[in-house]
Amino acid sequence: MNVHKLWEYKEYINVNGMMFNSELISLLQNSLTLLQVENHFTHIQYWGQIYAVDFDYHIAVGITNDAVADRKYFYTTDFKFWGLLPKPKKKYKQLSLLTIFPFRGDTSLKIKVLDESLEENNPDRCRFMKEECRLAATISNICDEAEICARGQLIKQPDGTVVINPNFYGLTRPEASFLKSYLHIRPAQQRWNTNLLTRQDYNYSMDFLDSIDQDIPNGCWNLSLEQSGSIAYLKNLYWPGMMFFHKIKTPDAGFLYVGNGYKNLDVPFLL
Amino acid sequence: MSQTFLLEPDIIAATENVMPDLNNDLVLAKNFLKQQSAATGDTLYDHLVDIVHKILSQQPPDVVDNFEQYSWAVKQEKFRPNFDLLNDVYLSPPQLSLVRRVDEMFRLVASKAQKADEMGEEEQELDLEEDNFKPRIADMIDNNFYFRECGFGLPDSECYAVYISLNMLAIKEPVSTVRFFGKIFGTKANYYVAETDLTIEELDRRIREFELKDMPGEGEGLDEARAQEAEEQKEIMGEGEEKDEKPKEPVPPKLPPEPVSTWQPPAPIPVERPGQGVNKKVFWVCNNPGQQWICLPDVTPDQIRVARLTVRCMTGDLDAEVQTFPPFEGTERNYLRAQIARIQASTSVSPQGFFTFGSGEEEEDIDLEEGGGDLDFNPNPFYQGHALKDLLDPNLTYWVHHGRHILKQGRTLWWNPNAGMEEGVEEEEDEGPPPVEPESGPPLFTSLSEDARVEGLSAWSVRTSSTLVPDRALAVLRSNLWPGAVAFATAGKKSECMYIGWGLKYQPPNFSPLQLPRPQDEYVVGPEVMEMADPTFADEEAYRIAHLPPPPPPELPGEGEVFGEEEEMED
Repeated sequence: MNVHKLWEYKEYINVNGMMFNSELISLLQNSLTLLQVENHFTHIQYWGQIYAVDFDYHIAVGITNDAVADRKYFYTTDFKFWGLLPKPKKKYKQLSLLTIFPFRGDTSLKIKVLDESLEENNPDRCRFMKEECRLAATISNICDEAEICARGQLIKQPDGTVVINPNFYGLTRPEASFLKSYLHIRPAQQRWNTNLLTRQDYNYSMDFLDSIDQDIPNGCWNLSLEQSGSIAYLKNLYWPGMMFFHKIKTPDAGFLYVGNGYKNLDVPFLL
Repeated sequence: MSQTFLLEPDIIAATENVMPDLNNDLVLAKNFLKQQSAATGDTLYDHLVDIVHKILSQQPPDVVDNFEQYSWAVKQEKFRPNFDLLNDVYLSPPQLSLVRRVDEMFRLVASKAQKADEMGEEEQELDLEEDNFKPRIADMIDNNFYFRECGFGLPDSECYAVYISLNMLAIKEPVSTVRFFGKIFGTKANYYVAETDLTIEELDRRIREFELKDMPGEGEGLDEARAQEAEEQKEIMGEGEEKDEKPKEPVPPKLPPEPVSTWQPPAPIPVERPGQGVNKKVFWVCNNPGQQWICLPDVTPDQIRVARLTVRCMTGDLDAEVQTFPPFEGTERNYLRAQIARIQASTSVSPQGFFTFGSGEEEEDIDLEEGGGDLDFNPNPFYQGHALKDLLDPNLTYWVHHGRHILKQGRTLWWNPNAGMEEGVEEEEDEGPPPVEPESGPPLFTSLSEDARVEGLSAWSVRTSSTLVPDRALAVLRSNLWPGAVAFATAGKKSECMYIGWGLKYQPPNFSPLQLPRPQDEYVVGPEVMEMADPTFADEEAYRIAHLPPPPPPELPGEGEVFGEEEEMED
């Protein structure tokens, strides 16, 4: 979510009752603008909030050139110091799904993770993980599954870099009521022609990402048009707390995650 | 000033000369650009003209970087069908249906306000009359302001619409207090939930209805059903005997009587009457502000029990089927009501002393031990507020529950399942079931520090709304058990709680459905039904030898034997 537009988005963002208050927006704008200047980012986005016991983590994303491949994640608990999150390792991505302990709010904390699917004497059964790694892994998991944008918000340029489309004018109302118009922000996992040819009006520069209507099970994304159909909200059941909003026919769109960082594995029972 | 380029007819005339010429090149290039595409009939020339025109008229920044996009947009516009042909068709904005509904609501509330105004004037003259009772509506806009300060709440537009529709509820339905409970998401539509107390007359009516329906019926119905079953059983037995008496037809093998289930369902736990326990408040829901409020039915202990064992998303349709295991009695409206009861019981919190037993206006002697379970409580007029430091204390000793704990039974007041039996079966004292340990939950106004923890996480997280300006900060409490439940308290006298979420409890590590019960044994296990190894050939041989006819007496001559054998062979 574009940091410099948070005041405009204030009335639209509502994640399970969580809304921005003025102090949060002011703090975010100030500290994130400074962060942007320090790191020479072309765009800086507020990603969301992860609840922890002592302090809540606030996460921001900096984008330099490529909007998909070149993203850097930062965290803070006090808006004064923003720390760069390490690259998520595959091992930790798996471990972070196993642990059930809450985040504590202290990145240097080491936590023990017990993998109960392994045998008693397996050395990998009990492993350690720093909270910083866990945070990075959790965020990476969420990004892979639930970070989305509206179709046309990101475009692939002829040289292969992906940029945020400055000429995005928003989806029309009929478009906005289809899950097909929303795309995952991640390197595509489907074949390129699957994403391209399932549309009538395909466009090479837009349809290079996976659309969310292929996610399993059908219904894990909840699309609702609110305020008499002028805003589309998308909520994910796997990651309760992930919310995407798009004001129809305007360039205003963005996602926000506010939650405790747990994947909800009960989705098949919920539907 | 002389013209740089010639006009087209002149150029064409000029092309007669074959000499290399700038104008000639220009014409050739122009002709090439004007070539029509076979597929669309378009020319590049027109397209470029359109693009240049669009760029110059709209003047977007950095066109050169996004020229492809632009070109694409221009092409797309060209293929848009021209709807102007249907001049008379007016497409109304999509907001229309919503506006119609809201408008109706506004009219109703406005007319009521006007009437109240007139009435007010008259009444001042008449000096008060009791029967014109005005329902008390919690000031949701004010509360929402504080919630917004804390970083929660509803958008202003939504909040106002809901507040007006609460007013509508107060006008249309027989309620005495109205409060916004929260919002519950569904897969197709969301629910807004209002929590109300009924007026005394309406409550009396409902209690009477409840007593008529439930009280006398229960025991008799069951007895009848059982008696009927027994009779049927007798008939079946009887039929079998009759058949035995008439041996005209080939006699069927006599079947053993069908086994009769000896299981008796435990006595149903009685529902708490309206205005008591989990049914103390009456909840109304609607999908959109402005729609008719629909009253949710009272919740039964069994529904709460099942709701605790399952997870399910709301759909937004009150009549949707609820498919769960164990089976849930009722539709989504019952399920919603059960979830609301659970949420209300565990997330209604307030600072200590905010509510008090009794009316609170005078110091009353209340025996907490006696009726603590179902005592009425009211806002405490002597509540002075706590220091923010106390409210923000992570031990949460200054916060208390004002929702009644729901026991495992699904009631807030414990019901003794043996109470009825003890009266009836006094003679056979030794056969009565052992006395049941009464369940008891934490009493009302228990401190939040007593709440159970979830996987090392306390049930509530407390935060301050502002770190920069502590003077105007609020304490905000967030439930970890029911994500979406929040409460705030100011250092002054304000406090409120609200729930906005999916209506799902946080159950780490994840939900595991109830196991199916073990299948029961159909027969008594004995040698008849036990599985045994088939006899081998050796066994059969041994059996045959053991059962051979006794060896013939040695006196008889051999002939006789031979004859005998032959006869047997012929048979």
